Amino acid sequence: MEKQKILFESGNEVAAFAAKQINYHIMGYYPITPSTQIAEFLDQMKADGEHDIVMIPAEGEHSAAGICYGASTGGGRVFNATSANGLLYALEQLPVQSGTRFPMVMNVACRTVSGPLCIKGDHSDIMFTLNAGWIILFANTPQAVYDMNICGLKIAEAVKLPVIVAFDGFFTSHQKRRCMVFEQDETVQKFVGEYHAECSALDLEHPVSIGSYMNEPDVLNNKFQLHQAMEEAAKVIPEVFAEYAEISGRQYGMAEGYCTEDAEVLLCLLGSAYHTAKVAVDKLRGQGKKVGVFTTNVLRPYPAEELFQYCKNAKTIMVGDRQDSYGAMGGNLSIELKAMLQEHGKGADCRVLSRVYGLGGRDFYESEAEEMLLSCYRADTPKFDYLGKYSGDINMQTQQYFAPISEKEASPGLTQCVFEGTDRQRAAKVQGGRINETTAMPKRLAPGHGACPGCGIPVNVNLLLRGIEGNVVLLFQTGCGMVVTTGYPKTAFKVPYVHNLFQNGAATLTGLAEMFRQRQKRGEYPDGEITFVMVSGDGGMDIGMGSALGTAIRNNRLILFEYDNGGYMNTGYQLSYSTPKGAKSSTSHVGPEQYGKPFFHKDMPQIMAASGIPYVATVAESNPLDFIKKAAKAKAYAAEEGMAYIRALSACPLNWGDKPNLERKVIGAAVDCCYFPLYEVERGHTSLSYDPGEKKIGVEQWFSMMGRTKHLTKPNYSCVTAGIQKEIDRRWEILKAKAEHEML
Amino acid sequence: MKEEVKLPVTNENGYYEIRLESIGGLGANLCGKMIGELGAVFMGLNAASFSSYGSEKRGSPVKAYIRWSAQGQEIGINSPVEEPHILGLFHEALAGKLPVTAGVTEKTKVIVNTDASPMEMRKRLKLCGGEIICIDALKIAMESKTRINMVMLGAIVKASGFIPFEAAEELVRETIGKKYPNLIQENLEGLKRGYEEGKSMFFQEDGTFERVPYQEAKNKWGYANAPIGGANPRIGSTVSNDLSASREGYIPLFLQEKCINCGLCDTTCPDMVFQFKPGEYKGRPAMVNTGLDYHHCKGCLRCVDVCPTNALVKGVEREHPDLKWFVRNKDLIVDRLEYEDAGPNSWVTSESHFTEKRIDGGMV
Repeated sequence: MEKQKILFESGNEVAAFAAKQINYHIMGYYPITPSTQIAEFLDQMKADGEHDIVMIPAEGEHSAAGICYGASTGGGRVFNATSANGLLYALEQLPVQSGTRFPMVMNVACRTVSGPLCIKGDHSDIMFTLNAGWIILFANTPQAVYDMNICGLKIAEAVKLPVIVAFDGFFTSHQKRRCMVFEQDETVQKFVGEYHAECSALDLEHPVSIGSYMNEPDVLNNKFQLHQAMEEAAKVIPEVFAEYAEISGRQYGMAEGYCTEDAEVLLCLLGSAYHTAKVAVDKLRGQGKKVGVFTTNVLRPYPAEELFQYCKNAKTIMVGDRQDSYGAMGGNLSIELKAMLQEHGKGADCRVLSRVYGLGGRDFYESEAEEMLLSCYRADTPKFDYLGKYSGDINMQTQQYFAPISEKEASPGLTQCVFEGTDRQRAAKVQGGRINETTAMPKRLAPGHGACPGCGIPVNVNLLLRGIEGNVVLLFQTGCGMVVTTGYPKTAFKVPYVHNLFQNGAATLTGLAEMFRQRQKRGEYPDGEITFVMVSGDGGMDIGMGSALGTAIRNNRLILFEYDNGGYMNTGYQLSYSTPKGAKSSTSHVGPEQYGKPFFHKDMPQIMAASGIPYVATVAESNPLDFIKKAAKAKAYAAEEGMAYIRALSACPLNWGDKPNLERKVIGAAVDCCYFPLYEVERGHTSLSYDPGEKKIGVEQWFSMMGRTKHLTKPNYSCVTAGIQKEIDRRWEILKAKAEHEML
Repeated sequence: MKEEVKLPVTNENGYYEIRLESIGGLGANLCGKMIGELGAVFMGLNAASFSSYGSEKRGSPVKAYIRWSAQGQEIGINSPVEEPHILGLFHEALAGKLPVTAGVTEKTKVIVNTDASPMEMRKRLKLCGGEIICIDALKIAMESKTRINMVMLGAIVKASGFIPFEAAEELVRETIGKKYPNLIQENLEGLKRGYEEGKSMFFQEDGTFERVPYQEAKNKWGYANAPIGGANPRIGSTVSNDLSASREGYIPLFLQEKCINCGLCDTTCPDMVFQFKPGEYKGRPAMVNTGLDYHHCKGCLRCVDVCPTNALVKGVEREHPDLKWFVRNKDLIVDRLEYEDAGPNSWVTSESHFTEKRIDGGMV
């Protein structure tokens, strides 16, 4: 046994701790709840100089998986962590990783797959990976997360297959438990040994072509090789577990059971629920009931033999599925267990019942485990059901608090944009927009939403919509904005609203806007105009950059509004591409080895301007009149010419680390230091909306107002800050030049 | 490894259980983690701790759960603590709002952050019984320049009757001391004063108030009546949320005689609190600020900062129990509205360094 110590940490923390001890070469990642903390903890340890893993924040999970794949072809060790829709977004990379046989380890903190969007834990994501050709280990305690992260790498490299270490989101990823970890990193490194890649794109002496173009009959043989590797894995996994038991004192099996030997009724559960059921088994055993519970620690390769050993004497097995394979009368755990029993000739004399439970993170209570077991003694218990569902109060009166906003009410004529001049040189002119008068505009958003005190998002959305008269239909990409407004069973929206995915809102809104026009054209929809507005955070505009640019290049008639709070705030402030360089975030910590975010903030308005759309503008709540007028202009362009893009700098008191009441001043300072210059680009012509001139302040003045950047005002970071100032000045000078010259 | 402290009492599953009820920003999550660690590392116990997955968002309700068992016993249960041995209430505004006292019996020790007496708190919480320990954690935290959670931790240690105070001190030295060595003395003082300054009183279940049973939250919409696909036709229904609990002690006060109806407050308010209606100002028709809808005011005070004439000023909420300028949302079409105290809603789950370091957080 090697020396160990106690940590009181969560599954995510010990996963990160194991990765640190292994000292992977590369981690490519993209934050998604509940797996995000793994990258956060690793980044903190990196800042403190505890490991040497290169952490690459991708702009989405598809790219994160791509980074990992590319890195794994380079002969080193690679690590990733994701959940739910992140896993699905990366899904097409998974069979390539396994099919071309590059080992790596990916943690999956299991979470409900959208939609409706839910961030809590169930197994609907992991079951999508059953056919991906990855080895899937399932850890049912934080301790197992640590252990399987170490064993997983050794298994992966032994059979040249990638490994997923899956565990329950929140229940295991966030629950803090007493865990034993090895005192010395060397113990772990010695256990996993050195890695020798089968082939590498960096081996210049033995060049190989990776990723052949392959049709029949070769693909069949390639896949048979993969199958053989899985068979090999079935042998290797118990060996590695046994070897690990020698150094740790903790022995894992392919499957495990409790009181199964003489049990007539068995419960089969995956993940943390297994342990809850053990408590129920103890209680029922105390009442003389012959009950037991078993689980699997490995989903792929499927440990049919080992599982059969636990259930060979059972008369009834109740399977709890934390996901459903809709229409198959059971989740994948049920379906596979039934197939296993059939194969072992037990299909006829063992009743298998299925209960879908715990979806969307619903708690699994010990009393429910008892009831599941007891129901097996009843003859009339249904074969399949959802546990914990309820019909609702059918006498419920739906009270409407507001009347829908009519087009007339939304068109008081207070802010109007008209095009003047001839076709070629038409100029958009806005009249009105006055702050006091436009308080008469009906608010499309109702109060009572759950944004933090002082949050900039509702402020910006309200200012934007104040300048857009007439009908509006809104679409929000995933972000704080949608989460705080549409928590079921309530919604803050008074106008039609759509949320689809994190990253493809622009595409979705294109479809909706075109459907409106097509239905109008076919006479199925009354005449009139609707302004289609997509609202996204800067996170959505990272992962959704492709979709937004695609929409811009097609020049679809809609408005794309970005609230830039410089970080992925709804998952706890990880860096976004728009986070100021040097700012600290939970994935860009400040420490002896790191000064904060390593690269410059993305200049999205200029990227959008380069796509050639007719209208691009930046706005700030510190200049509300300018804001409202630009919204009206965007509406006019979207109605007549094509896509309009507006970006607002949006305050986040929680993560900026400043006082909620002072946010308008903080935003004003960002404008005055030209970090966030106010300008517009109309049909390619740039004009400055505000030039601070003599009043231009240094960026350190703005930085000093926020906790996330305060450190940059200290002398030891002066070279970082000077670099940022230089970049800000460079962008500002270019803007000024563009504004002066017709052709730029 | 530490010598195991014997748990004086456990529930039918062999656990000693603690539940903390708080508002995001007061450090209950961290406190929960520290109590768990106290058991696992400093008292030789097995331990688990977790939070109502959800909310580090400022101002929204947070729950933290801790389970301890004897070292050799597994902790199999992952669901919320239903009948706590210790209940910690981090904010007195939680009294009478959400069902924070669920599962309390006369065997429970209830620690409340308040300057009120145990007798008064029992009434406000409608507690069936139990030992009530009142501690003015806010005041102590401000005086000793620490956070509320340290003071509450001290009070919890004392209330338990079996947690060695030295173990808690060692924990604070280890966890806080390592990260923020310059804050260690303040935190230790907060812990000590929390341990020493609680006012305790025991109440039998004498029938004055009923027990509040633990219940899983359910909505009225179920599979038989909810619109399919999750579409929500109840436009603007968040209006029925009362967000007063988000406030951190301060409100904007409106001095209408000073108001010039410029409308700037309405451009900075994230919560649509200002009710502008057509009226007359200086003899001319104008949109007139008729006042504030305090149900939805989260107390951010952005409006106070932008008001050019000091018609909006910062006031201490306690000093203004009746909000005489209260105005309802002007667009409502219902005569009566039953407000619901808003529960956790956010998905902010990160325990990044910001949430722990934010000394601004909460009322400290």
